Amino acid sequence: MPYHEFEVSKCIPERKLHAVVKGAGEDLTSCLPKGYLNTIPGSISERGCAYCGAKHVIGTPMKDVIHLSHGPVGCTYDTWQTKRYISDNNNFQLKYTFASDVKEKHIVFGAEKLLKQNILEAFDAFPDIKRMTIYQTCATALIGDDMAAIAEEVMAERPEVDIFVCNSPGFGGPSQSGGHHKINIAWLNQKVGTVEPEITSDYVINYVGEYNIQGDQEVMLDYFKRMGIQVLSTFTGNGTYDSLRGMHRAHLNVLECARSAEYICDELRARYGIPRLDIDGFGHKALGDSLRKIGLFFGIEERAEAIIAEETARWKPELDWYKERLQGKRVCLWPGGSKLWHWAHAIQEEMGVKVVSVYTKFGHQGDMEKGVSRCGEGALAIDDPNELEGQEALRTLKPDVIFTGKRPGEVAKKMRVPYLNAHAYHNGPYKGFEGWVRFARDIYNAVYSPMHQLSAIDISKDDYDTGRGFVTRRMLSDAGLCEETKASPLTGYTGKFDPIPDLRRKTDYPVFERRVAAAE
Amino acid sequence: MAKKEKKDVARANYPKLYTSDPLAALDADTREKVCELENYIMKNCLWQFNSRGWDRRKQNAGILGMTAGLLIGEDVEISTAIDKCYWVDAVLLARNFTARCAWLGEMGAEEIRAIMAALHARIDWLTIDGSLNEELTVQNY
Repeated sequence: MPYHEFEVSKCIPERKLHAVVKGAGEDLTSCLPKGYLNTIPGSISERGCAYCGAKHVIGTPMKDVIHLSHGPVGCTYDTWQTKRYISDNNNFQLKYTFASDVKEKHIVFGAEKLLKQNILEAFDAFPDIKRMTIYQTCATALIGDDMAAIAEEVMAERPEVDIFVCNSPGFGGPSQSGGHHKINIAWLNQKVGTVEPEITSDYVINYVGEYNIQGDQEVMLDYFKRMGIQVLSTFTGNGTYDSLRGMHRAHLNVLECARSAEYICDELRARYGIPRLDIDGFGHKALGDSLRKIGLFFGIEERAEAIIAEETARWKPELDWYKERLQGKRVCLWPGGSKLWHWAHAIQEEMGVKVVSVYTKFGHQGDMEKGVSRCGEGALAIDDPNELEGQEALRTLKPDVIFTGKRPGEVAKKMRVPYLNAHAYHNGPYKGFEGWVRFARDIYNAVYSPMHQLSAIDISKDDYDTGRGFVTRRMLSDAGLCEETKASPLTGYTGKFDPIPDLRRKTDYPVFERRVAAAE
Repeated sequence: MAKKEKKDVARANYPKLYTSDPLAALDADTREKVCELENYIMKNCLWQFNSRGWDRRKQNAGILGMTAGLLIGEDVEISTAIDKCYWVDAVLLARNFTARCAWLGEMGAEEIRAIMAALHARIDWLTIDGSLNEELTVQNY
């Protein structure tokens, strides 16, 4: 087994099992790190907790809901606004966060009355909102507060409201992934099947594991609408509470982030017979094949092909412009979970970069199986790294850019490695044909921006060339290109600063005659 | 409320089919061809990585079985929505295999059947029987 031991972690020998280097001839039966285990004492993990995984990652992107944490105010504050899962209802779920503000006296005397008071006050403060999720935290779980009983009381007193109870305290798993699991199953058990949705198409899907980061979901919905597909619900980005109660009526679950949402797909398959189709919304080939598969499933592949042809013609030349200029650039692909495998192969094939390392903060061995498979030889794969290991890897691997979260990203910046936010993006959306070019544009700017080179100069100590002015693209990224490429009139990204407002205004979708006249 | 069914705990006790790499016994030319097909799957597909071993067994059998049928030109039976999901992945796989591996076009039906059987065994070995993933036999989804 090609385990990798970090110098900085020799004092924590168990860590050796959590990193591997993919050598020549290695496959998954010989090269896979441990994963989804409790963090080893002494290793300062970058993980989040199970409450965060339930509330911040999966619950809160639901847009028409009061999201209330039953616990200290810090729990809700620290899971507020840091991930850009926007919505088309003026971002209600991002603007407001709610907590019962539990204090020491409540730990002694109980906090159920406080919870009920907070629920009523929140509904009164936002009379247009009739849906709520309540999240358990460590403190209120340990004192045994019965949140479900309080929710039942309120729903009995106010029949117009509906409340979902998420019992995923911070200690409920090794990482935020434990919370993903709990909220998936809780939603299915409590809410799916409690609303009968209106069916308006012959082709009905749930779009699962999609969180509308900077508009990703709205980009994909545009493709689905152009194909005449009804998206019954999105779990959960830009999704509504009641649409998610009707998930049981879909014909197909289209699954994007398997790490966070495969559980509900697998249970919907077991309980309702709805099949699960895994797709990749990132990368032109992967996205094209994904749309084809959905089209094939419903017998409307020609509609998918029309979209692929139109979008590829529009955006592929601009993607290729970046590919010419990013050849061989070394990337550390260090996201939370699923993007290590969504991106690993696609960025190498379609942008020309080389992935020298993948890591996952909270992923499982299944994520690493996908990630290790999609990397080339020599890639360093790390599970649940600590900050010192990250620094050692950056010093050793010398990447040109790192894609990671904002906490390790700030560390990378201090080490003069340009960083792109893999969770909330820099200038997304990154999904879709256009979005993939936006991602390439952000990588290009991260790698070549003179800002990063200037930031490495300590002006209090270093001598530097004061006569050197601003450097241009031709000097930075084009110097080594062939004359033909240099002379090409093609440019990089020519889309809008923000493509989402246009999608929200768009109404001219094709109307397809239904095969089944009567709705199910 | 959602339907609740009794959990099938026995599903986690699926039998092992292989105790060593099934490719090891094959000749170099076959191994090379299987590796080419395997590499495409591992780099581009997700269906082989469902989180539980019993699902992986079904996925591999369903999709690779149908892919073999499509490559040979046989009719593929689709009787459930889940079969249809296998079929769409199989169609994409067959198209990509055909586009990338010119040698497939020179093979007869029996040869294709044999190479696909070897591929199926190899994918089962990598993702199930030889897998180091300790969560494959967890009883819950």
